[in-house]
Amino acid sequence: MSKKITVGPVGYMPQSAPSMGVELSPEGQALLYGNVVSEDEAMRDAAKAMLTMQNPTIFPGPQVLWDWRDDVADKSAAILDLASEIPNCKIIPMPDYRPKYPKIDVKAEINPNHPNLTILDNKIKACIFIGVHCHYANLSLRMIRAGTDCYTIAMCAMMGHEEAMASIRDVHADDIRRFKDVLVEVRNELGIEHTPTMPPENPSLPEEDWGSLTPADYGEYRSLIMSRKGEHVADVE
Amino acid sequence: MSLKYMIPASKFKRYLPKDYVELVDYGPFGKDYADVGVKNMGTFKELVEEHPMCSGCWMAYYIKIIFAALPNPENTVTIGTAGCGRLAISQAAVPFIYGNYGDQNAMASGLTRAFRLRFPDIQKDVITIAGDGGMMDIGFSMTMHAWFRREKFTTIMLDNEVYGNTGGQESGMSIEGAVLKMSPKGKNFGKMPAMQLAITAGCVYVVKMSPTNINKSAKAIRRAIFAARNLGPTFIHVYTSCNIEYSIPTPDVFRDAKEMEKGRFAFEEFMTPEAKELFAKVESKKKREVS
Amino acid sequence: MSLNKKLVDMDYLLNEAPREKHFITGAQAMSEAVKRASVDMAIAYPITPQSEVMHLVGDIYAQGHIKEYYRAEEELGTMSAIAGAARGGVRLFTATSGPGLLRGLEAIVSWPGHRVPCVLGVLTRVINAPLSIQPDNIEMAYLMHSGMVMLHAENQQDTFDFTLAAFAITEKVDVYIPVSVSTEGFFVTHAKGYVEMMSEELAFTEPDPYHAPVPAMDNEVPPARIQRDAPVQKSNFMSYLIHSVWQQEIWDSNRRAMKYVYQYIDGPLEVQNPGSDVMIVASGCAAAQAREAHRYAQEEGISVGFVKVKCIRPWPKDEIREALATAKTVIVPEHNIIGWLCKEVKAAIPNSGIVVEGPRVYGGMTLPVELIMTEIYDALGMDSLVLQA
Repeated sequence: MSKKITVGPVGYMPQSAPSMGVELSPEGQALLYGNVVSEDEAMRDAAKAMLTMQNPTIFPGPQVLWDWRDDVADKSAAILDLASEIPNCKIIPMPDYRPKYPKIDVKAEINPNHPNLTILDNKIKACIFIGVHCHYANLSLRMIRAGTDCYTIAMCAMMGHEEAMASIRDVHADDIRRFKDVLVEVRNELGIEHTPTMPPENPSLPEEDWGSLTPADYGEYRSLIMSRKGEHVADVE
Repeated sequence: MSLKYMIPASKFKRYLPKDYVELVDYGPFGKDYADVGVKNMGTFKELVEEHPMCSGCWMAYYIKIIFAALPNPENTVTIGTAGCGRLAISQAAVPFIYGNYGDQNAMASGLTRAFRLRFPDIQKDVITIAGDGGMMDIGFSMTMHAWFRREKFTTIMLDNEVYGNTGGQESGMSIEGAVLKMSPKGKNFGKMPAMQLAITAGCVYVVKMSPTNINKSAKAIRRAIFAARNLGPTFIHVYTSCNIEYSIPTPDVFRDAKEMEKGRFAFEEFMTPEAKELFAKVESKKKREVS
Repeated sequence: MSLNKKLVDMDYLLNEAPREKHFITGAQAMSEAVKRASVDMAIAYPITPQSEVMHLVGDIYAQGHIKEYYRAEEELGTMSAIAGAARGGVRLFTATSGPGLLRGLEAIVSWPGHRVPCVLGVLTRVINAPLSIQPDNIEMAYLMHSGMVMLHAENQQDTFDFTLAAFAITEKVDVYIPVSVSTEGFFVTHAKGYVEMMSEELAFTEPDPYHAPVPAMDNEVPPARIQRDAPVQKSNFMSYLIHSVWQQEIWDSNRRAMKYVYQYIDGPLEVQNPGSDVMIVASGCAAAQAREAHRYAQEEGISVGFVKVKCIRPWPKDEIREALATAKTVIVPEHNIIGWLCKEVKAAIPNSGIVVEGPRVYGGMTLPVELIMTEIYDALGMDSLVLQA
């Protein structure tokens, strides 16, 4: 079967997968390189990518990061179980979708307006999108295919994503656990030894030590500082 | 309870950027205003922190006050339009809708009604925040008609008397004689009477002010939101200078705001008798709770 | 007020529910569809010939079939309020005509990019100037590049069926862009025809704003820090690629709607007498006249094919190409001066020279079947005696 959708970079101006004739898979089936295949086949290829490519990373989106629905607890636990079975797996969240000022921390998060930055900086060669709203997932997956050589996997609670190399649809906690089982099976076949390990926690920048700041640190902007260290301005008048 | 949508899934808390976790742990969501209101700014995680506004921007300062004054930030949606303000508003940890030019009060009409249909038992505050151009020029018809229709949401006009974001053009709220782009010989008519228009159109609570006092500013914002929940449209017309287009040196921005307070932005407050009654009730209740 | 309707899915509603025949206007047909669509909110603004539709929708609101309804200040206000309400997660309907559509166009063309699901009735009318209230569907040309899904109804029955289908299509998670249902003002809106309708005790299942490709702006769904939709320009390390892929996503969503066009309205085309040397391709009211021409031709023993285009966007390029594969002449009757359908048909086939530019009527003119017959006779090298007699 010829691959309609391949690992990038496909170039400056990507063509969208749907415009290349890729259609979402019907219920019970998956997409692999733009072709409709069985879920098992897609899961095996995706598992292999996560196990053999550099810096495998899971990008959880808002729908699994926040406790807004009853199924989130189960789903997030399943995602972490999956991550623990992938050697050297990282978790980098996509906590929201707005362009963030002044910039994102590429080690700590991924943003749909420039997902390539996180992929490139961390040299991620295989990733899973899960819990990202479909519109933003599609934008991200296409930009990643345009500008990076990352193998993308979409685990979508809805209809899946044409842009991903592997797209599994209607994904709930049980499906994540099934994927984990497939992954462990593939890992054993590949002879990769691994003890389940939790991914490292978010490497957000260390808290800045405001206590040691002096007005001199502000240079020419020091005139903007209204209050001195420790001073609390309750009322301007 | 909608607070759930901003609480991290317990398993994922350690994988979120610190920023987001702190918003929940140290932010104002679901907490008492007495602890996380404008009086305590600087002691809790605020909803707007970093923003790309110009150095010394009085609008950015006022936007921070708006977000610190919100009575119910976890159930608030803001709507804005093109202009400087949205650059800061969009960085807030409160959902923000950015539509087309000047459409904020029409959008808010639809959104407020949708909320009342879907959540008859939950109060969701809708606030439109736009500049003088968005509110009184390009969005004029939609602003006025939302008021005439008595749509229950709050309108805040950040009046810097100029189109700042597009590069300093005359607006309907610029003063007569102002020499700006597109008025090279000076504007030949005066400021539009926004406050009178709002009163005439049926706003139940209207304030015009220069926000030199944080508490006074916050009080007006909160009154406007409380009145909009129960009684009808409310309007705040606030002076937020553009220190770039009007060449106000940064250290003089506050002085300028004080001068405006003595001049055309002298504090004026209008309220209907019903609004007055409501404020008496809300504000006395709060005092009782505190004491 | 609750009318205790039985909520059913659109497949059942459109394709299985028993129907009864009624003799009603196109405006009634559209509002009868709205009545069965569990619409939360409708926003109205008058313009002839659309007004009749929103009057009737107002009536069904008063009867309790719709939860919220109001007259907005003008069309830009109407269409903006639709965009605002859509962010709140409710099901929406509005309708307009010609100049009203153009006044609301700034908001309307931003709906797809803003992922606003809603149904827009377009009851076609001449665009000024000079002013006229008569039918002419040139305004549809302005919608064709907006990204929205566009259905074009031939008659009262289509208006009813397409409007109902539109409510299902617009909320599909892989579509989630607005759907317009156009039909000709007066010719359809104010004329009666037979419409088979299911019981008004039945209604489409209610919307689920969380089964969506974007978060509703209702403080119930994460993320809390969300802007819909952020200007994607300037700083923040953004590349302009974000806007490019966003535009692609809208047209992809439009493309994905095609499978639902098959599911709910039996595909984008209706083809009669395929494989004929002379094919007539038409949409909307012109399709009704083309259908008549097809019948005349059959009575006269002339073999002519007929293709009705039900769906203008997504454009059924492959289907058109297939339907016209062996044609030697293609006639495209239209109710507008620029011939937007003709241009699309020509672009869809490799041998566009076979397409006859017309016949076209506009400015409120009716489209006599004889005009189409003349083109058929010309194509077949026959004298058009009919018109001369």
